[in-house]
Amino acid sequence: MDDSITFLHSSDWQLGMLRRFLGPDGQARWGQGRLDAVARIGEVAERTGAAFVVVTGDVFEHNQVERQTILRACEALKRIPVPVVLLPGNHDALEPGSLWTSSQWQAHAPEHVIVLTDTTPIEIVPGVEVVGAPWRSRRPTSDPAAAAYTNLEPAPAGTTRVLLVHGQLLSLSGGMSEVPPIDQAALEAAVAAKKVQYVGLGDRHSTTKVTDRIWFSGTQEVTTPEETDPGNVLKVTVSQSSIEVEPIRVGAWHMVDHHVELFDEESLTALEDWFAELPDKERTYVRLAGDGSLSLPLLSRLDTMIDVQGEAFASVEKWAKFWTVRPAPDAADLDALQLSGPARAAMEELRQALAGGDEGAGVALSLMHRLARDAG
Amino acid sequence: MRLHSLTLRNFRGVKDRTVRLPALGTTVVVGDNEVGKSSLVEAFGLIFDLPDDSKSTRIRDIQPVGQDVAPEVTAELTLGGRELTYTKRWLKNRVTELAIVDPDGRRTAWTGREAHNEAERLFHDNVDPVLWQTLMVSQGQSLILPTPADAEPLITAVTAESGTPVDGASMPLVSAVEHEYLRYWTRGGRATGDFAKSEKAVAAAELQAAQALKAMEEVQQDIRRAERLTLDLADVDSRLADHLTTVEEVRERKQATDEILLRRDTVRSKAETARARLVNHTRTREERERLLDEVERFTKIDAELAERRTDADTVAKAAAETVQAAEAALTEVIELKDMRRTDVQDAERRVSHLVDQAELERLVGQQTELIDVRARIVTAAAILDKIKVDDGLFAALEDARAAVVEARAALAAGVPEVVVRRLGAEPVELSGKGVEAAQRARVPKELGFDETAELLVSGELVVGVPGQVEVTVRAGGEAATLRSRVDEAVRREKELLKKAGVKDVAAAREQLRKADTASAELQEARRTEKSLTSAGDPGERIAVLTARLGIGADDEDEQSGSKQAAVEGVPGQMSLFEEFVSPLDTLFDDFELPTPPPDDLTGAQRQLDDARAELAGVERLLTEAEFAAAQARKAADEDRSEAQQARARSEIAGERLAAAIDALKAARAVLDDDAVTAAEAEAMAEVEAVLEEFTAVQEQADAAGADQAAGELTDALAVATRMQGERDTLRDALRTTEGRLEQSGRDGMATRRDVAELELAAIRSEHESLRRRAEAARRVYETLGRHRAAAQTKYSEPLQTRIEALGRSVYGPSFKIWLDDDLAVAERELDGVRLPIEALSTGAQEQLAIITRLAISHLVSTGDGSVPVIFDDALGWSDKARLRDMGALLGRAGDHGQVIILTCMPDRYEYVPKATFIKLDG
Repeated sequence: MDDSITFLHSSDWQLGMLRRFLGPDGQARWGQGRLDAVARIGEVAERTGAAFVVVTGDVFEHNQVERQTILRACEALKRIPVPVVLLPGNHDALEPGSLWTSSQWQAHAPEHVIVLTDTTPIEIVPGVEVVGAPWRSRRPTSDPAAAAYTNLEPAPAGTTRVLLVHGQLLSLSGGMSEVPPIDQAALEAAVAAKKVQYVGLGDRHSTTKVTDRIWFSGTQEVTTPEETDPGNVLKVTVSQSSIEVEPIRVGAWHMVDHHVELFDEESLTALEDWFAELPDKERTYVRLAGDGSLSLPLLSRLDTMIDVQGEAFASVEKWAKFWTVRPAPDAADLDALQLSGPARAAMEELRQALAGGDEGAGVALSLMHRLARDAG
Repeated sequence: MRLHSLTLRNFRGVKDRTVRLPALGTTVVVGDNEVGKSSLVEAFGLIFDLPDDSKSTRIRDIQPVGQDVAPEVTAELTLGGRELTYTKRWLKNRVTELAIVDPDGRRTAWTGREAHNEAERLFHDNVDPVLWQTLMVSQGQSLILPTPADAEPLITAVTAESGTPVDGASMPLVSAVEHEYLRYWTRGGRATGDFAKSEKAVAAAELQAAQALKAMEEVQQDIRRAERLTLDLADVDSRLADHLTTVEEVRERKQATDEILLRRDTVRSKAETARARLVNHTRTREERERLLDEVERFTKIDAELAERRTDADTVAKAAAETVQAAEAALTEVIELKDMRRTDVQDAERRVSHLVDQAELERLVGQQTELIDVRARIVTAAAILDKIKVDDGLFAALEDARAAVVEARAALAAGVPEVVVRRLGAEPVELSGKGVEAAQRARVPKELGFDETAELLVSGELVVGVPGQVEVTVRAGGEAATLRSRVDEAVRREKELLKKAGVKDVAAAREQLRKADTASAELQEARRTEKSLTSAGDPGERIAVLTARLGIGADDEDEQSGSKQAAVEGVPGQMSLFEEFVSPLDTLFDDFELPTPPPDDLTGAQRQLDDARAELAGVERLLTEAEFAAAQARKAADEDRSEAQQARARSEIAGERLAAAIDALKAARAVLDDDAVTAAEAEAMAEVEAVLEEFTAVQEQADAAGADQAAGELTDALAVATRMQGERDTLRDALRTTEGRLEQSGRDGMATRRDVAELELAAIRSEHESLRRRAEAARRVYETLGRHRAAAQTKYSEPLQTRIEALGRSVYGPSFKIWLDDDLAVAERELDGVRLPIEALSTGAQEQLAIITRLAISHLVSTGDGSVPVIFDDALGWSDKARLRDMGALLGRAGDHGQVIILTCMPDRYEYVPKATFIKLDG
């Protein structure tokens, strides 16, 4: 007899999150995109026959998100046709004043949504228990998952148990986490002792397999260009003896870092081509790193290009930390403008200042070049 | 361009007039008002501007009023090296004709619109409109300073002269740079426009973000507070539960001990009753004892006071006796004092007697000396009476002697000296009168052999050898005068010697010396006499003293005897004043009869001093005796008062004793002394019995801890109440904090903070972008401005130099000007004072405007673009001196080009040299 059960694992929805590099319009679209991805999880659940959905922490960006975010989240959750179990994470910890205990949440939360407020196992569907370790503070002083598995007895016969925890593993965080990491060995021991059949982890935004039965689902929608594999929901089919995990993409946004070397017209053209080929421009954020130097006309063309692409894309930014493209005007640039007398002398002075390392002179020279060109 | 002639027909008030202008030089066109001077300028403008079919009101305006005639203008001019004859008639019989002769002599002609277009083209190709407008000064416009920067011929000229190209092609860039700069900055360098708004937006966003962040931090604090309060509340709940258990235990223990405490209260009540009775009996006994003590005490006091009264009376009596003794001693001392005073008076009289005797002796000596002095006075006075020579007479004698000597000397010098010497045996006789002997010789009657007689002859001298020769020598007239002066001097001397009673001056001098000696003796004697009689005549005082000292020594002895008698009879000493009496005894013991009075003054004086010392000693004794008597009287008064008081106190004590005895008697009538003592003992026994019972009950209470039970219960209840209060406080605080958190959750504080921070970041980013653009705009603006200013300075130099050269001929060598960007004169310096043009007088402004135009004309005169300079009525604000200078300037301007001046005031231009004057008639 097949005792496997299929459910969906997601995490780090961080509803209410804002991004600095997006303008007001992009911000609104991106916020809606994260809710749409939640709705798509509902579609995946329906399509895959998942029995329930678990979200391992950080459903909301803060405990003090605006009311609109809570209400829209509730609406998105209603579009998931199966029970949903939510685990409070570090962003939405079950601390005093928590969103989960607020009248706003409690008044609007759909009935099929369960928030884990303690470590008591819950039978979410017949034969399946869900147990979790909700965060009670943003700064726990010990392993935030330990409470859920330390005193956990092996699952009753015929019961599949899913453990939901939130936090970093030392092996993946590189010790950079400000809070104590989760004891990976203990998790693996709990799995080995048949106390749990699957461990759903949250906090890491990229989909990551730790072991066959221990997974980070990653965020449903990308949040930074550094994330390697965001935008998935995990379809988990588990039994006492088997496990199958399949990432299914639900995200629609892209965040891209791109490095270019700019030194002539061809390199500019190549960059234009690269922009042209990117899909989903309205849902794509591009962060450009650049090296090189350009003549004033080309530099002017580059600025124009970035301005134009910034309108087409969700956002195009020069990555200030890695942007070292400098103007390199030569006498030919100035001759082309057919300036003489004081104007020519002024440009020459700025050009020499730039050559001496005066960055401000470079900006001024570019401006003067543009003005001369437009005036000419 | 050169204008050669203008012909106007039916043009405003001009019916037909042709004005011919020299191609070079200054022309002054003179005419009265309304004669049509300005019409010449107007006509030249119209002929190029408006075609012959123009409907412009300007054409209607030039048609003579009320005449249906066609205005017509013909101009002859040189333009671009070609000779033009250009005629145009408007309104009626319209005509436009243009004839051109090229430099090579080729002639071309146009008519109608073609002629107009060709003329217009030629004009625009060869005449720079800015320069034309600059150099043509219409009526009333002479004050306006030209701004010729856009005049191409001028720019070409200054460029050529300065060697600095003026980049006209850069002007759009300059405008664009300035426009870009003004997008971000005011001309004063302050942020403006979107850049300024951006700065404010950053500040506002920072404030909003800070507020949102602070609000969120407060939320975080509330969360921490709520966590802490939750823990504290759990802790206090636990402790309260434990404590309430303790309270119940204490309450049960208290109930068990309450019965013992009730019994103890009963016994305590009994004890208090018994103690009250004992107090009453004790008080009765103490009252009885007090009565007994009082009787005993008053009896004793009464006896003591009676004895003290007796002693006081005795003392008072003794004191009265002491007073009597003191007063007797005082009387004795007073008598002793009188005796001593008599002694002093005797000694004083003796001293006075001896002093008189000494004075008498001194006066006798003084009188003897006086007699001697007066004898010296008589002697000296007698000597003085005999001597007739005084200082005046002696001086006259000396003068007379000198006059004689002087006259004789004059005579000797003024008369002949005759020297006669006998040489032979024959006698030589001398005779004559008036022969003055020299110092050496008298006149002899006869000379001996070889004898020589040297004679001064003031009268006549006869020298004869008898029988042989007789020589008579006679002095002249002057010799007689000299002779008489000698005689007069000798006579005067003799008179004075006679008056003085002496034979010569030496005797007179001796007499005068004797007189001085006698006079000095007389004065000295008289001073001595005055001194001796200064205190009066000694004889009178001698008489007085002799009379006073005539008293016999027996009287003094009698006085001494009476004194001695008075000293006797000193009283004896007194028993109560030993301190006083003891020195008194010594005094009387040492007293001796007086010794005989001394004869010398020193001894008498010493005796007087001794007597005075003794008197002073007795006076001190008297003071002491008076003090002793006063003290004795005071002590007697006090003793008497004391005796009276002792009597009064004794009487009072007797009364009190009687009262005490009566009270004791009355008390014993109620209860005798033994009964009182017995009742108190009985009450005491009762009290002791009850206390013993109370002690037993108290021991039971102590053993059961009954007294502590109530306190413990109270303390426990208080602690419980405090803990409940603490719990309630924590609970309230937690609810309040949770309420705030619930509210902050509803308010979406974190989202607000994120939004605010995002907005701040966006605004900052935008501002930074703006700032970079603004800084770039400023950098470009300043850099370009700096280079332009440098170029401007260089290429404006030719015009500046030309204006200053012309201006110095009017204003002198200190004249300087500065040009602005439009090459207009901005400032003028004269005699070291630099002023903006607006600050100058109207006349100076007009002169500067004319000078500038002449300078421009001069600069462009060599180029193809030169045009005439035309002034329609100028120099209306200049004085005579300036008119002279400006006239010279206008005259010289004609050397380089065509200068045309239209005026109705020819006087203003009479100083223009080489000018052609054209008179327009009405």
